[in-house]
Amino acid sequence: MVCGLRLRALAGACAAVFSAAAAALSHAPDPLFHDSYEGIAAGPTTDSDAARFLAQATFGPTDADIVHLRAPATGGYLGWLNEQFAAPPTHEMDYIDWVAGLGEQVGQNNRVEAWFLGALGGPDPQNNALIHSDQLRQRVAFALSEILVISDQNTDLGLNGAAGMAYYYDILVNNAFGNYRTLLEEVTLSPAMGVYLNMMGNRRADSSQNVHPDENYGREINQLFSIGLVMLNLDGTQQLAGGQPIPTYTQDTITNFAHVLTGWNWKSCDTSGYDQFVGCYTPYSVASDYTTPMLAYETRPPLETGLPLSNYNYHDNGTHTDDTHNKQLLDYGQAGNGVLADGGTAASDLTFALDNIYNHPNVAPFICKQLIQRLVTSNPSPAYVKRVATVFDANRASPTQLKSVVQAILLDPEARYGQNADGYGKLREPLLVLTHLWRAMGAQHACGQDISGNFYNNTYRYAGYNEAWSTGNTQYSGIAQAPQDAFTVFNFFKPGFLPPGEMSTRGLLGPEFQLQTDSVLALTTNTFRGFYISYDLNDPCDPSFAPFGEVMINHSQDYALAGNVTADALVDAYNHRFMSGQMSPFMRQTLLDYLNVIDSSWGADWKMQRIDRALYLILTSPEYMVQK
Amino acid sequence: MRPDRRKFIKETICAALGGASVYSALGQMQLLQAATRATNYSFPAGDYKALVCVFMYGGNDGFNTVVPYTQSAYDALYAVGGVRPKLALARANLHPLNTTITSGDGIRYALHPSMPELANLFNGGQAAIVANVGTLVRPTTQAQYLTGTYALPPQLYSHADQAAYWQSSPPTNQPLTGWGGRIADLITSANNGATAPMLTGLNGQDAFMRGASVNGYIMNATQATELDFGYDPGGLGLQTPFAALHAGGQVNALERTFATSMNHSSSTAGVINAAVAAHDFSAYFPNASSSDLDRQLQTVAQLIYAAHQNNVAGYGGLQRQVFFVNTGGYDTHSNELAVHGQTGTPGILDLLSKSLASFYNALVSVGLQNKATAFTASDFGRSLTNNDNGTDHGWGGHHFVVGGAVQGGKFYGNGCGFASNLASPNFGLVMPSLTNPNTFDGAGHSLNLNDPGDGYGRLIPTTSVDQYGATLAKWFGLSDSDIDLVFPNMAANFSIRNLGFI
Repeated sequence: MVCGLRLRALAGACAAVFSAAAAALSHAPDPLFHDSYEGIAAGPTTDSDAARFLAQATFGPTDADIVHLRAPATGGYLGWLNEQFAAPPTHEMDYIDWVAGLGEQVGQNNRVEAWFLGALGGPDPQNNALIHSDQLRQRVAFALSEILVISDQNTDLGLNGAAGMAYYYDILVNNAFGNYRTLLEEVTLSPAMGVYLNMMGNRRADSSQNVHPDENYGREINQLFSIGLVMLNLDGTQQLAGGQPIPTYTQDTITNFAHVLTGWNWKSCDTSGYDQFVGCYTPYSVASDYTTPMLAYETRPPLETGLPLSNYNYHDNGTHTDDTHNKQLLDYGQAGNGVLADGGTAASDLTFALDNIYNHPNVAPFICKQLIQRLVTSNPSPAYVKRVATVFDANRASPTQLKSVVQAILLDPEARYGQNADGYGKLREPLLVLTHLWRAMGAQHACGQDISGNFYNNTYRYAGYNEAWSTGNTQYSGIAQAPQDAFTVFNFFKPGFLPPGEMSTRGLLGPEFQLQTDSVLALTTNTFRGFYISYDLNDPCDPSFAPFGEVMINHSQDYALAGNVTADALVDAYNHRFMSGQMSPFMRQTLLDYLNVIDSSWGADWKMQRIDRALYLILTSPEYMVQK
Repeated sequence: MRPDRRKFIKETICAALGGASVYSALGQMQLLQAATRATNYSFPAGDYKALVCVFMYGGNDGFNTVVPYTQSAYDALYAVGGVRPKLALARANLHPLNTTITSGDGIRYALHPSMPELANLFNGGQAAIVANVGTLVRPTTQAQYLTGTYALPPQLYSHADQAAYWQSSPPTNQPLTGWGGRIADLITSANNGATAPMLTGLNGQDAFMRGASVNGYIMNATQATELDFGYDPGGLGLQTPFAALHAGGQVNALERTFATSMNHSSSTAGVINAAVAAHDFSAYFPNASSSDLDRQLQTVAQLIYAAHQNNVAGYGGLQRQVFFVNTGGYDTHSNELAVHGQTGTPGILDLLSKSLASFYNALVSVGLQNKATAFTASDFGRSLTNNDNGTDHGWGGHHFVVGGAVQGGKFYGNGCGFASNLASPNFGLVMPSLTNPNTFDGAGHSLNLNDPGDGYGRLIPTTSVDQYGATLAKWFGLSDSDIDLVFPNMAANFSIRNLGFI
């Protein structure tokens, strides 16, 4: 991978004395005063409130976003939310189809470009008049992608599944404000998930050939996508029996689910006249199969005459000798106790199984707590979780269930006003720091070329070796995180991670800390400095960027702010834009003490120097890195 | 409450085992009871050990690395009309190995002309060869393979999947932990709370290094990544305000934790780089300027030295370390002879041989050769038959274990415990059959019984990666029950747990 590290050369000598006075100032941000009598829904009442909200509801607020949310015509939080609920969804497949139509070979890089288009918003590369603005929907889809995980680290998906993964992501986008049961079903039948967790081609047991159904999806749909490992109260706390947590299922339960989740395969396995189920695997499917739901194979014409039709039924519905009869699925005291009677079809049995999962009382707290963790804070109070889980349950049959849930999450007092400041908030993920930086600093794509079958001369194709495409787990030029790129189905971090030290001692969860190992931290910090911050949109194009170009921020948008004698205006603007007004006096003075030293004696680009270094110090600071 | 590492590992392994379809038999395996173990590991002062995995990406052709030297066997392999005439190595240039007993077949073997150093180590008793080792679910014969329904590792012959299998064992499409990571997880108590990394990779972030609770530390071949603040002219530098912002005093617990994490990253990198610099082995690694493997192994040697000397601030207390180094270019579909190395033109086998010998010699110079064991690994071996001038992806391959503790100068293998089959010479012996796989019986199956049947010579391993790793883990000091946790597949399906090479 090309690493075009560009260091900003500094000119001029400067002598500076670092002020010790900063250290004496408070590390606490100014308190946010809330004295509005109209309640949360009529807010925000300050720019800081607005910025805090947008930090939770978008990929990072821009100055313009803050202005818009504060504008009376918008109608406060509710008005903004309604705008977002109505905004047309951005679909990765639209971008993928466009790239394919250009004649390019579609790959994972293009999927990442498509993701950035949704995350950054702005003009569409194909039709610049179309402005992508569905920030909240995209933000929720991203949160869902960290729960309902697939990843291009899977060999098949990585090599062949770019479109399939885009199609999968669009399922999350389409259902981000929809119904979780519907979401679960569409995810279950998506080919990318079928490949990732082995439901694709899963077949009923056959003892004569020592074949047993694969348990991967049966396990993960329970453990990770719906109910988790232990029984929960509605407020997300664990139920205890004799002081011990209560498991939600046993190994037998998973085995039974595995038997139910059989009989589904690629659409094109359905070649009439031949039994292609067993031999039909990814290299032999048609490319478009990746963007079509899996189909059930129950009765295929026999390859050999004379054998019974029922021999070719690959779904375990309890009627063959090796099938599991009257499968015991999850029993939570419901009518029927979760027993799936024999004699169903693949589709009817799937419906039963998904309903069985969805109706489990764990789903609401298990999913809602994670959505709160992804958007607002790592350690929601049980009362907060319960308020949101109640909304989830009250809307179980509603096609706008998640819309109500998301609104409940964002408008809850704990989200709007914070809680005990000491343990509140969440560590920002590297990918979200990047999207914030790019959105807030007017990043665009430049230096791309239309050459050799590539069409990268386009401001809104978010591509490039050092920037957009290097976001993954590469050692020397990455930030260890890219969309749908986790090493395992457990995402980049687990919801229950306790960072060693003070947080672990106090029982404070910090999922995002799990990603920030010693080496990842150093690497990410250096990558931000060397690439994301130091590249500039207006620089002459580096030949090494050709032909794909790079995504670069626009420092010049802030020259006026940076160009004063002292850096107050710059620091205050960045406090507003990046830190929702919560920069402590200590941090503010520390920054000023340093940035004020940078002046025209440093050279013609001294304003860019100030901006670069302000961005670096802020984006790597503990106060910024904890979104609160 | 401190998490129970063993329980955590069991959960992640079982989550993995529940997954892969070919593990249908293992899916029956009962979830292990999560027991709290009373014993932690504690080794006497001075009892330091390091495992060093040398991974050859691409799939090394073991069958041209360890080759028959006995004339008749040599001819059968390389002569016109033989098994792989296009890959013939001049017999006069081979480096004979001084054993005919342990290969089991009465054939004397030799190493590739590019590997005199490794041959010397073998003949000197400091290196062993583990024959025909590869990924297996359970012992597998040709007949079993041909049923079409026998449990096999998923995605055979696929680079990424097989490399992941080698490193994570048991494998899934997405390995949760590597066996290097699991070993580190279980034995970390031996390090007396040392904060310096015990699990270190020097060239990328590989599955081997993923522990359930121990974080693999990623560094590059010569140094750990330190924060780069760039250059400021005279006076104030970025690091000053940066340090101020990461000093204590934050009013939020997450902020404090982040600041601590950042400072720890910096200090770890500083400690590691100080450890690397504490001793200079460059005299033993003359190829370091051109060989990344040399650079990586030199750094590993320096870290081993620093850990053992225990006199680098912050790098103390380590009694067990696991390292992962790697090198590529082994996917020799074409030009194999040139890529491996020919007279006058060194190739990847030259580099491998020299690097391994350099590593050993460096440790001898400080008396630590018994403390570290390097072992090779690769995605797979290659086909015994050749294509035009190379080989295709195979399965089983030969690997080397190097170190003072190794019971060297011998071949080890047949971990599957097959009985010898007189109908096919060499089957059931340590070394696999060199019968031409491309000869068939009346049913159309290869006469070479190590061949899976189709005759391409992608020989079925007769020793599993699990057994290879378990033997190393035993030397490393893990208990048998913990070895079962690291290699549950072996616990379930193989009776031989220790190949005896160390």
